[in-house]
Amino acid sequence: MLVLTLVAPAVLSDYTLHVAVLSLVYLLPALGLNLVYGYAGLLSLAEGSFFGMGAYASALLALRLGWPFWLALPAAGLACALLAVPIAVPALRLRSYSFVMVTLGVLVISESVAKNWIGLTRGDMGLIDIPRPRLAGMPLSSVAAFYYLALAIAGVAALAFRALVGSAGGRALIAIRDDETLAQSYGLDTWRFKLVAFVVAAAFGGLGGSLYAHYTSVLDPSIFDVFHTLTLMTIVFGGGAGTFGGVLLGTGVFLFVPEALRVAPQWRMVVYGLLLVLFVFRLPGGLGPALARLGRRGSA
Amino acid sequence: MRAINFAHGEYYMLGALVAWTALDRLQWPYPVAVLTAALACAALGLVVSRLLMERLLALPFSMAVLATLGVQLALQNGAQLVWGASPKYFNGGWRGGVEVGGVGIIGQQLVIVLAAAVAFAALGAMVRRTALGRAMRAVAQNREACLVVGLDVARVTRITFTLGVMLAGLAGALVAPVLVNVGTTIGLPMVLRCFAIIVLGGVGSVPGALVGGLVLGVAESFVAGYLALQLRDAVGFAVLLAMLIVRPQGLFGVRVRA
Repeated sequence: MLVLTLVAPAVLSDYTLHVAVLSLVYLLPALGLNLVYGYAGLLSLAEGSFFGMGAYASALLALRLGWPFWLALPAAGLACALLAVPIAVPALRLRSYSFVMVTLGVLVISESVAKNWIGLTRGDMGLIDIPRPRLAGMPLSSVAAFYYLALAIAGVAALAFRALVGSAGGRALIAIRDDETLAQSYGLDTWRFKLVAFVVAAAFGGLGGSLYAHYTSVLDPSIFDVFHTLTLMTIVFGGGAGTFGGVLLGTGVFLFVPEALRVAPQWRMVVYGLLLVLFVFRLPGGLGPALARLGRRGSA
Repeated sequence: MRAINFAHGEYYMLGALVAWTALDRLQWPYPVAVLTAALACAALGLVVSRLLMERLLALPFSMAVLATLGVQLALQNGAQLVWGASPKYFNGGWRGGVEVGGVGIIGQQLVIVLAAAVAFAALGAMVRRTALGRAMRAVAQNREACLVVGLDVARVTRITFTLGVMLAGLAGALVAPVLVNVGTTIGLPMVLRCFAIIVLGGVGSVPGALVGGLVLGVAESFVAGYLALQLRDAVGFAVLLAMLIVRPQGLFGVRVRA
């Protein structure tokens, strides 16, 4: 598997490689959503909005202040983490639907800000010429070069994610998801754990957004479109919320399937939608857990 | 029923487009077109409910949401295959101006208000007074207990869902003359607004939905009129955020300890 990802640029066409880069970019906010939903049990639609905020933060730092990508990337992650705190403090008092709707509100409001704060974001005109990252003075202009960069960053993020959910904190989050009242009765400060999960997830989203902005080199308020958030939900729910491998798999599968359906462009999204519905009924646990079951049956 | 259905706005979109076809292509009069749209949506709702919704209830929350996302994609893009991507000019309804208490409005807006009032009264009466309404409330409270006492939960679910889809289609056909241009993309923004309204009013409360809708509509109009039209979409959610901080259970919701 590892070898396969390393030699991918040599065997894949430029277009397929482009989709591969996109799935690596999407992996970051997908891990973020997996952390808040899969582990902490909070369905946050704001993850897509942190993706957009990170993209804008990074693009503006690079364009207005001339920051290099290597500084803009962590700055975008940090900015999203900081922005997440004042959102999380009131939002985490709410439960179930109210929490979902407030995070949806964050998404809609951030789109509105990006559209209307024209002095900063140029509104619907968008930002152009966001510079590609440079390595040793050379811009990473080819898709293959960017692929390796995205692979490295996504790889580090994935390892960090695994370490995080494997720690005592990760186990505390699962306990909160399964029964918050019970977790509280064991003396867990559930509010603090949820806050940390939300903020860390926002940072993941911001990092992904930064990578996205420097890859596509253009950015406009459509980054906040609900469509991106729905894609993230498809990846996490479809791959298997609360699992690590499932989400990794979901990122690949759910970005490549719509592309593979391009043979019938008109019918593409209709078929994709119906496949999603079919998928839900066939594999209600998600892709990852289903494959794991298959593997166990094979070895037994 | 306590599920998040992302596809619901698409029935509203379909209602508007079916009405457009009946009006523009078949040259039917507008009231007939509205009726056709409502009935077509009810039929579609019945099919979707039969095939999907009744089975979704047995699934985990996240999977049920994913399925409604799939339905949303299929319906929106399916409609695009049928009607094309360009918006349609909707030439129907009551275009003339009327004056109500010194305020000039378009006649069709009066029709919408009256239709909403009738639907609200009928829905409220049904939920409170009929056997079916009682069954709906029971299913919403406790599915298992309903099964134990022999209530046909699948049937209640089916009727509730079909009714909801029919109302969405009716709304689409009624609002279309005011929108003037109707296209396949009007569904998703609408469903987001509906979510805000329902949470604002309190999940599962009919008067809550009415007040929530009024608050949102008035707030949106004021901001569009006095501040900036572009900010309108964000207003609903800003109101919602502010309100939830003060009253987390919604205006009319009952506080439940989870």
